[in-house]
Amino acid sequence: MTTAVPVKSRKPWTPSQIILTLLGTAVSAAFLAPFAWALFTSLKSETEAVEVPPHWLPEVWTGQAWQALFETGNITNWFVNSVAVSVCVTSVVLLVSALAGYGFARTEFRGKKPLMGLVMAGLMISPAVLGVPLFTTVQQMGMVDTYWGMILPQCAPAAMVYILYKFFQGIPRELEEAAFIDGAGRWRVFFTIVLPLSRPSLAAVGIFTFIASWNNFLWPYMVTNNPDLMTMPNGIATVMNSYGIQWAQLMAGGLMAGLPLIIVFVFFQRQIVAGVAHTGLAGQ
Amino acid sequence: MTATSAQTITAPARARTAADSATIRRPQGFQHGGWFVAPFLLLFALFVIWPLLRGVWLSFTDANISGEGARFIGLDNYREALKDPLMWDSLGHSAFFTLMVVPCITVLAFLLAMLAHHIERGKWLWRLCFFAPFLLPSTVAANLWQWLFNPGTGMINYVFGIETPWLTDKSYAMLAIVIQTLWWTVGFSFLLYLAALQGIPGHLYEAAKLDGANAWHRMVHITLPMLRNITGLVVALQILASLQVFDQAVVMMDFLPGPEGSTRTFVQFTLEEGFTSYRVGYASAISVIFFVIIAAVALARMWLLRNREESAR
Amino acid sequence: MGRPDLNRRQLLGGLGGLFVASSFGFAALGTGADALATGADTRVRYWNLFSGGDGSNMIAMLDAFRKAHPDIAVKDSTLQWGSPFYTKLAMAAAGNRAPDLGVMHLGRVTGFSPGRFLDPWDVDLLAEYGVREADFNPALWKRAVIDGKLYALPLDIHVQLCFYRKDVLKKAGLLGDDGRMVPVTSPDEWFDVLKQAKRATKKGLQTIGLWVNDQNFQWWFFVAFYTQLGGTWFNAANTEVTFDTGKATQVLEFLRRHITDGYADPGFAGAAGAEQFLNGSPFVWEGNWSVPVFSGAKLDYGATPLPPVFGKPATHAESHAFVLPHQSDRGGPADEAAHRLAAYVVRHARQWAAGGHIPAYTPTLSTAAYKALNPQSEYVSAMDHQATEPKVWFAGSTGILAQRVGPIVVASTLGSAKPETAARRMKSTLTQLLAMKNPMDGRTAAQGGAAA
Repeated sequence: MTTAVPVKSRKPWTPSQIILTLLGTAVSAAFLAPFAWALFTSLKSETEAVEVPPHWLPEVWTGQAWQALFETGNITNWFVNSVAVSVCVTSVVLLVSALAGYGFARTEFRGKKPLMGLVMAGLMISPAVLGVPLFTTVQQMGMVDTYWGMILPQCAPAAMVYILYKFFQGIPRELEEAAFIDGAGRWRVFFTIVLPLSRPSLAAVGIFTFIASWNNFLWPYMVTNNPDLMTMPNGIATVMNSYGIQWAQLMAGGLMAGLPLIIVFVFFQRQIVAGVAHTGLAGQ
Repeated sequence: MTATSAQTITAPARARTAADSATIRRPQGFQHGGWFVAPFLLLFALFVIWPLLRGVWLSFTDANISGEGARFIGLDNYREALKDPLMWDSLGHSAFFTLMVVPCITVLAFLLAMLAHHIERGKWLWRLCFFAPFLLPSTVAANLWQWLFNPGTGMINYVFGIETPWLTDKSYAMLAIVIQTLWWTVGFSFLLYLAALQGIPGHLYEAAKLDGANAWHRMVHITLPMLRNITGLVVALQILASLQVFDQAVVMMDFLPGPEGSTRTFVQFTLEEGFTSYRVGYASAISVIFFVIIAAVALARMWLLRNREESAR
Repeated sequence: MGRPDLNRRQLLGGLGGLFVASSFGFAALGTGADALATGADTRVRYWNLFSGGDGSNMIAMLDAFRKAHPDIAVKDSTLQWGSPFYTKLAMAAAGNRAPDLGVMHLGRVTGFSPGRFLDPWDVDLLAEYGVREADFNPALWKRAVIDGKLYALPLDIHVQLCFYRKDVLKKAGLLGDDGRMVPVTSPDEWFDVLKQAKRATKKGLQTIGLWVNDQNFQWWFFVAFYTQLGGTWFNAANTEVTFDTGKATQVLEFLRRHITDGYADPGFAGAAGAEQFLNGSPFVWEGNWSVPVFSGAKLDYGATPLPPVFGKPATHAESHAFVLPHQSDRGGPADEAAHRLAAYVVRHARQWAAGGHIPAYTPTLSTAAYKALNPQSEYVSAMDHQATEPKVWFAGSTGILAQRVGPIVVASTLGSAKPETAARRMKSTLTQLLAMKNPMDGRTAAQGGAAA
């Protein structure tokens, strides 16, 4: 990823650059307008929010929606749940898929080929495709309405194994060989040599997994109906929505669910962009 | 590189070139490669393979949600599914959604990437603007657009001075979901394109300039061909994701199948059969049908890729 | 790249810390619920399905119960309504992990394999705790009885109402001396009312919101007006469809006319109808659960049962009811406590009426406190003329019946199907459903015998 270095030596404003920049600004404004609308709505009273015709800025600025959100709802619970679930999923996925990617790339054992084929087939399976049988399986394990029921089924992403597998294949073998000569075992080689080398890839997988898990709706929706256990996307869509026309609160809740990732994105933009591009491109 | 120190080494020294394809070591005990893949395979078996097999088994039974008293009924579920107009409708809705979203998102992502790539100032800002929606949870993005499309108070109709019944008329409902999806997910494909654009070696353009090619020629003869692979990827990922559309459709329609059932997607149909009608056996059968469709798309892509690689050789 | 690396390390460190913290959190949560130490002798596990305003009303009633019965510990878990709940309840009952007490929609009880997944109530025990059959509307009580046993204890009925704005109706001269909407007894009268109300309505607002695109609401309205016409669904043995397409057509035409005469704007279908009402639209047909919303907005409004345009009053009603999920060893103190708790809540449902629901326990309705509630006391008569779905396994709130037939009503109301065609399609769908086997026990409605 080339870095957009903020060079001080300014490039000239050619006519084409002016046009492109104006165009870019217009398109960006269109992309950001819904966010602004959500923010302004959340700062209106519920009655002002549904006034016809609509107007952008609140006539009376009020934090009542935000206040009500924290006072009446379980939104703080949901937030904590979202953090807990996403962090756990990300940690487990990183650990498990790094090990597996390495195992498939660099070790040899009986049945490796067919197992790898099986994992590849797993790329086609998601809770959207096999939701009902997956639910009954998890139900039989007694994990409905538990954290584990939410977390574990998200922890077997074949795609991430595949991405790391591809990456590990590209690490020069000499680096490992040298360590083996020194008497290091596989595990030490993996943890002291291979993992540090693959930090960018691991970061990519981690970031992507975190985003996916933070935003995951379908599976938590299927597997939880205890409002105390819900994650942000699920709680907002089911519990908050079931109480009708409270758009200001709904927008406030949505912003609270969406803003953390966006703020993180502003600060870690380069890594996240690299991460998403990397995981995406690895599918080529 | 004849490693001999560890007792686990059994393989003789090899030529370095062979190292890529073959094993060097056949370690035993805890050094065995199986240990590395075991944790993943355990999770994978429990939450991917087992549900798949279970789904196939259930699809031949009349199981209900209680998990009690399922009887084997052969192909009855499949026979019923193929005759079920609701199944075909929902499959049609998901397919229609896919046909609308995939070309639009591909073109839009490409255009946005070109724009962001060619503006010299504030690259991070454009990236942020186009990608930010993708970071929203699906349900939040859907609620937001439900609000934007809301009759009377919705900004879309207000800004454009129209009175389109976006979410309440069957001729617009799916379109509204498509528009929402474009806004929400184009950022991902945009980033892929942007990364690919930045990966095109600059000297190609320099050379073309020297040959007197204008901007249009450079795009047609350098940029587009260099982006062929990434376009294939974007299209494939989008097809697979779009066929599985669920979140935004149900949230924008308040968990109902839309006006006159016009936005009932395939995933929604499976969940309705499984959880509203309590028919786990039947829901499993349609899940298996869906799996076959998804697998067919994925395999078709692999086949296309291989063909192209072969013809490229 | 030195700095981003540092940042990343900090980030990962932070995440690691969170991970550790959250795993402790799990450990605590995993055991917390069951290890809840209490000095009480008896513990009742109760699956409560109410959140939001209903939720806080329910919790207030539970707290009152706890105070009155310190020897009983109520462990309530709040769950979210919807299909996953029924799945969960069925599987818990099948796996013998069911709670002592639960809540369901009354219409769903028949399809929920009473006897297998639900245990019957001990009517004598209930009577001991002050709840008797005589305290309920007979039709409501009968709906809860299957094969001669009581499987559900109704807490309330909830209905769709005709909400009206007094300010607009006053301007239109449609308000009686008692400050309530003038009575309506025929479709023509009703459309006259709409016509006059329309004149008094601000520009840009529709006259009435009636969820024209919503399969549940349209189906509920259909049930109400079809019942007003005296229509029936199936014969007593559930072997034949007695659905009257002529009457159905009449109802469908009536619903459709709201749009063709320009009173309901399909552009303001759905929840937007309530928003229009807040903005000054004179009428909206909504569930009684909108009462807290409209009262919270400080509107000057009233609410009556749906107008009896076809003569006989009837309003669609569904009911929240307490159920005893199946436990193989039901009985003993926990079961008795469940009876006691349910009876207590049913008898002290005045608070529940704040959510707009009509308490099922009729002595509540004649108390002064209830009569002082507005607009609740205005629509309390809905209790006496409930229109309900047929008592078959596929009926019930947002069940298969509504899911299959509702869209047909919507298609007719929105004009994409002719009323006669829609009525015929409804009849053939009912025929199909009658032949369908209940996935819970593999029996059709006729074989089920449950309705008898």
